[in-house]
Amino acid sequence: MVHLVQFTDPNSREMEKALRAIPKCPGTCIFVDIVSSTAVKYTTDIVLWGRRLNNTFNFISLLNDFPENIVKGIGDEMMLYIPDEVLIKKDTINDYYSLLEEIYSTILNLQRFPLQDMFYHCKLSIHYCTDVYNVTFLKGFNDYYGRDIDLTARLMGKTRADRLVFSETFYRKVVSELCKKGISKDQTCLNHVSVKMVEEFKGIPKPVSYRFIDV
Amino acid sequence: MELTFEKHGSITIIGLNGRLDTTNYIEFENKLLEEISQGSSVLIECTHLNYISSSGLRVLLLALKKAEKTSSKLALCSLQTGIMEVFRISAFDSIFSIYPYKQDALEKLQDQSK
Repeated sequence: MVHLVQFTDPNSREMEKALRAIPKCPGTCIFVDIVSSTAVKYTTDIVLWGRRLNNTFNFISLLNDFPENIVKGIGDEMMLYIPDEVLIKKDTINDYYSLLEEIYSTILNLQRFPLQDMFYHCKLSIHYCTDVYNVTFLKGFNDYYGRDIDLTARLMGKTRADRLVFSETFYRKVVSELCKKGISKDQTCLNHVSVKMVEEFKGIPKPVSYRFIDV
Repeated sequence: MELTFEKHGSITIIGLNGRLDTTNYIEFENKLLEEISQGSSVLIECTHLNYISSSGLRVLLLALKKAEKTSSKLALCSLQTGIMEVFRISAFDSIFSIYPYKQDALEKLQDQSK
């Protein structure tokens, strides 16, 4: 449930109380970006790029499976936040492994679709978040703030067309589920996962571990 | 999900019952690709398929590409309205042969196999 924080007094004690009362909201943050859709607007008209964007948004099943978890979109980049309590209640995509495998399948289907000019390619970053609050400062909006959201956004800098980048935290969650289910990594999209990378990102005080899959 | 198999000459009918998703797509992929690599044409009967995820669509796309490299034909029939909608919005209806009835699909595949 989103917590609205809106006080006119900048030093309000009530505001401090309200902020401290907001619980953390663990879950999975996903950034999705459609590749090349900015450049194409300068070379084609709205019918061509608009149709392909429409088709691509339809094709990304994640957006249809979790429509209520699309937090915001800026043009063709979107942020989804799927709290754990929402994920476990789903019929099908109800764990981290399913989430990753479905996203991988979507990218693969987009990449290998046999008809030309039907869809755009896309790129994504994923992070399992613990330091996140479901809070908004604008009435009528839903939003999530926290260090882990910033980290997911930073991971987008490591993506490119047909690449999924995910934090080591998310990777460990998936691996742990596979172990519990007795599924070998080789039978899943993790068969294609990179080695662990460690890098420093602007604004993030500690080095970040991540991996990627080039589809 | 339960898979059923039926043979009609060189055509194998694979029936899908239930939900095709990350929990079972590997089994379906193995069986489908095995039939195609043996040169069989395959009709996927979807009367009792009530959900398909991207992982399921991925298997179909892979099978289509494999079938194109062999003499195998691949078709689907009897899709429920919701499944047909998924095929329509993902443009899969423009790359697969889809028939409303099993008998029509079977006859078409038999003609193509002659």
